[in-house]
Amino acid sequence: MPDEMKHEPLDRRRFLKVVGVAGAGTAALTGCSTDKVEKLIPYLVQSADQVPGIPTIYASTCTECAAGCGLHVRTREARAIKLEGNPQHPVNAGTLCARGQASLQGLYNPDRLTGPMGRNGVGKMSEVLWNEAIDQLAAAVKQAGSKVAVVTGTPAGTMSDLIDQWTAAVGGRVIRYQAFDHGPVQLAAKKVFGVDELPHHDFGAAKYIVSFGADFLETWHGPIENQRGFAAAHGFDGKGMAKFVYVGTRMSLTGMNADQWVSAASGSETSLALGLANAVLASRSDAPADAAQLKGMLAAYTVEKVAQDTGLSADVVRTLCAEFAKAAPSLAVAGGIGAQHRGAAELCAAVNVLNYVAGNVGKTVHFGFGMGSGSGYGAMLELERAMNAGEIDAVIFHDTNPLYTLPKSGGFRAALAKVRFRATTSMFWDETAAACDLVLPSLHSLERWDDSRPRAGVHGLVQPVMEPVFKNMAAGDVLLQVARKIGGAAGAAFTAPTYEAHLKGIWAGVAKARGAADFDTFWRGALANGGLYDAAPAPATIKLAAGAGDIKSEKPAFDGEGLLFAPYPSSMYHDGRGANRPWLLENPDPVTRITWQSWIEINPETAREMDIREGEILRLNSPAGSIEASVYVYPGIARDVLAMPLGLGHTEYGRYAQGRGVNALDLLSAKDGQGFLPYLSTRVKAEKTGRFRKVAKTEGNPRELGRGITEAIPLAAAVKGLTIQQAYQAAGKGEHEVNPEREAEAIKGFREGQLEERRYGAYALDNPQWGMVIDLARCTGCSACVTACSAENNIPWVGEEDIFRGRELSWMRIERYFEGGEDGEPIKARVIPMLCQQCDAAPCEPVCPVYAAYHTADGLNGQVYNRCVGTRYCANNCPYKVRYYNWYAYAKRAFVEPLNLQLNPDVTVRARGVMEKCTFCIQRIRGAQNTARLEDRAVADGDVVTACAQACASGAITFGNVKDPASRVVQAAKNPRGYHVLEELNTRPAVTYLARVEYGSEA
Amino acid sequence: MRKLLVAGVAAVMAVGAIALTMPSLTTAQNQAKKAEPDSVVAPRLTAADSSNLKGPKQPIFFRHDIHAGQYKIQCQYCHYTVAASSEPGVPSLQTCMGCHLAIGGADSTHRVEIKKLRDAWKEKRPVEWVRIHTLAKHAHFPHMRHIKSLGPNACATCHGDVARMPQVFKVNNVNNMGFCISCHVERKVNRDCTACHY
Repeated sequence: MPDEMKHEPLDRRRFLKVVGVAGAGTAALTGCSTDKVEKLIPYLVQSADQVPGIPTIYASTCTECAAGCGLHVRTREARAIKLEGNPQHPVNAGTLCARGQASLQGLYNPDRLTGPMGRNGVGKMSEVLWNEAIDQLAAAVKQAGSKVAVVTGTPAGTMSDLIDQWTAAVGGRVIRYQAFDHGPVQLAAKKVFGVDELPHHDFGAAKYIVSFGADFLETWHGPIENQRGFAAAHGFDGKGMAKFVYVGTRMSLTGMNADQWVSAASGSETSLALGLANAVLASRSDAPADAAQLKGMLAAYTVEKVAQDTGLSADVVRTLCAEFAKAAPSLAVAGGIGAQHRGAAELCAAVNVLNYVAGNVGKTVHFGFGMGSGSGYGAMLELERAMNAGEIDAVIFHDTNPLYTLPKSGGFRAALAKVRFRATTSMFWDETAAACDLVLPSLHSLERWDDSRPRAGVHGLVQPVMEPVFKNMAAGDVLLQVARKIGGAAGAAFTAPTYEAHLKGIWAGVAKARGAADFDTFWRGALANGGLYDAAPAPATIKLAAGAGDIKSEKPAFDGEGLLFAPYPSSMYHDGRGANRPWLLENPDPVTRITWQSWIEINPETAREMDIREGEILRLNSPAGSIEASVYVYPGIARDVLAMPLGLGHTEYGRYAQGRGVNALDLLSAKDGQGFLPYLSTRVKAEKTGRFRKVAKTEGNPRELGRGITEAIPLAAAVKGLTIQQAYQAAGKGEHEVNPEREAEAIKGFREGQLEERRYGAYALDNPQWGMVIDLARCTGCSACVTACSAENNIPWVGEEDIFRGRELSWMRIERYFEGGEDGEPIKARVIPMLCQQCDAAPCEPVCPVYAAYHTADGLNGQVYNRCVGTRYCANNCPYKVRYYNWYAYAKRAFVEPLNLQLNPDVTVRARGVMEKCTFCIQRIRGAQNTARLEDRAVADGDVVTACAQACASGAITFGNVKDPASRVVQAAKNPRGYHVLEELNTRPAVTYLARVEYGSEA
Repeated sequence: MRKLLVAGVAAVMAVGAIALTMPSLTTAQNQAKKAEPDSVVAPRLTAADSSNLKGPKQPIFFRHDIHAGQYKIQCQYCHYTVAASSEPGVPSLQTCMGCHLAIGGADSTHRVEIKKLRDAWKEKRPVEWVRIHTLAKHAHFPHMRHIKSLGPNACATCHGDVARMPQVFKVNNVNNMGFCISCHVERKVNRDCTACHY
């Protein structure tokens, strides 16, 4: 044979040799070679808290929303590379949502302004020097005298206080404005309880939860804290779980997690809330004494009346009433955008009454936490009036972008144009910046000092974790410098030279008040912990106010005619600030699985009547305007409603956001005097355009078609400790044997062969076997794990065009499947996080011709990127579709300067033509093993936490060594609800899923 | 981006290591005085000779053979994180000046080179050393595990006898995987691909 081979002109072996040499030659020219001159540039002076190769972690506070979650910022070589939750922080307890994680892409955003911008001689904006900018602002403020308005979105903290003091010193007014403020909730608290603050909700203590359009798992109040509580209440603990009912016109992510979605007609929720209150009063004797005065008002809301008002069947209403009355403590929440129509304040008042009569106030609803929402939308309308009346000479915007978040139909933009001088501290060229005369870009919260007081007892600190990416100035310093420039009383009011000194001065007062002997020690301790955390305050005693007896459930008015238009806050883009973060743009919407686009949701029946299908572009016309977007047919929406996510359709805001999608606010009328913006107040006429645009969704088939990917088990069966198969049998839905006898025999033989092989080489050593348990009873589908995975593993985004072609890179993805929704069955959604299952008998491994996909000794499906030649056989053979192919040089395309500074140095950045996949954060495993080796010990349970498990607010993911019988992962996997996805294929996955627990008809 | 070129910081843990194993400034000086002309006396060379030596020419003709060879300063005195981190650590200029504030050089050729260092320190300008060993970005080499297993003087296993090199040159191609594997085979330790590639 060898002789014959010799005569071959170019056999396979020789071909590979030639290619190999050529490859090596190219490599020598491009990068692999050490011949290229690289420089080693040492520090001049050693930094005390940076060790090359070892991450330094700083505690700080997230500023992406008002929730004020604690952060642990992981830095390497003085660059922030990953955000994780601070385990000590009472709000998020070590977890972090997708938006919080993506804060890094605000820090390293290539569209950040590199310096202040001012109007030049011809009225165009151009870069100016910082001292010029400060001079300009000081001059304008001085000239404006008492006619200064500061519009701030900064949540409570020293900066917020400074803005108050500064504005008082220079003369003027402060308007606290943030989109999605809690106007109706605050109004209702005043009306029913006579308190001017927001309630704090303890979801964890509730036995029965009803949400009236409050999307508390997405954007409403602090979603992370809500999610933690919800998981505690609703995650099945072996004995039972709370029931959750969602009332709204659209099944949002929060609605998807409900055991029952009640599609009450929009505007009629108040009647249902009062009906529930009536039922509680009628059937329970433990209502507070002063609740008796409500009897007269509530008596009218009988089951029949509620059924008539809401359009629900009397049976549904009766069951709801009975269940709610029976559970204690329960929790009703309202005030989200999902039910923010013109009657929202009345609805929130009705919910307050409901919570009060059910005895929930003080148990699951707490006042006295010092949470306020600020002056809100009403104050913006007042500002608009004042600007029109010439009462304002200078406006300064801080931490807010009202020209995007206010409907265009209002007159704010026109009124602002009448003001002589406008300035903003935005880091980006956003819509508001474009309308300003001076832009003083602030620093990102990871580059500056600050603090935050999200509620009483939580005093978080923000500290700079690295040198600023762009040499800008924190807004606090700008204010102090301007005050000094103005001089006089304003200059005298602030003695601190910098905002840092000012902040420390405030904290010195705190230290003194707490009797700390030495400020330095106190300050260092607070910094290390990320702040000060006191026990939650004792809830205030709450009595009914006079307004409680005067709640009407009148149908609110809607503008225009046609279908009801329901814009809703996207869980990724929030009020639009997330739209310039590629991680969020490519993290699919948890409900629709759509990326990078705006879309219109429509009920399948309505779509059939109108003869439209997915991807068809609809034009929506309202009295206020018209917009166009592709249709997504969604069974989880009421028939007379069209829904659309907010947050896209920016006219400015950088390369990722500008011109992407449409702004649903364009359809809203801004005329409203109630103090909040009624998002749900417009009817629209849908008009077919006849044009199509593909929807960039990562959803495959929305139905499981009996594949058994997401399993669910009825609560009654779960309480009895039945396995999934036993539960099926008990329900009379006998499942066939997973493997018939002959197959089982073959599998056994295969398995024995495998075990035989384990006796050789590295496999024979006493290696750990890594495994994971994912509890679907806790997973909400929030997708924080997806962004966490992208951040940890340098996963580039591919963009809309490649999503169309199904080329997304998402090592961890959330799959969402619909159940029911046909033949009168209620629609339900199930979610499942899908990542590499690290199969024991992996189909991907044997098909790799170059041994790039192979089984590691510690039980992972290893992927050696430098071996991979990109045949894609492995992906073709993977039944879970968790291998992702790097079609283009995605990393080069995605990580443009300075986004590349975020890359994790412990993970290879994959090149084009390489198959990539999840390996249970192998860099973290190896890191923990290295540390353990240095300390002469074995890796302990909990030493390795994968990025997805770390982020999960529900605590749905458990990771560990399955060979260690005491490990948490082994304990969790023993659960009778455990199953493997596609078990019948005999892949023996290392990931065990625990079936979702559902309230069935028997419960 | 994986391995930053910028390195060299004092870690709290590294300080501990220095205290235990490293000669302090004064002992280094004592050693300098006591240095006996034994078998490891470094040859007299000038910067002009460096072109004839193996290895790339460095901005300062830094003599490993004098520091590590003749004066037996331990590797970890300068490469201070090698036992704690995957990165060995490049000494900061401050570390150099710790000794060279006092030590100005025995003869004119030494004084010329030490003056370059002192000038750089005065001008707050880091010395840009030419990198000799650069591991490919798809491989991860935890220095600390190798020091832990092979001992603090194991550097020569891969880097050669640097203590005898007037100018450091590459003895082994660290990007030749066979070089790693042969050692791992010999010592019967982990040969799993994902030990290094991830």
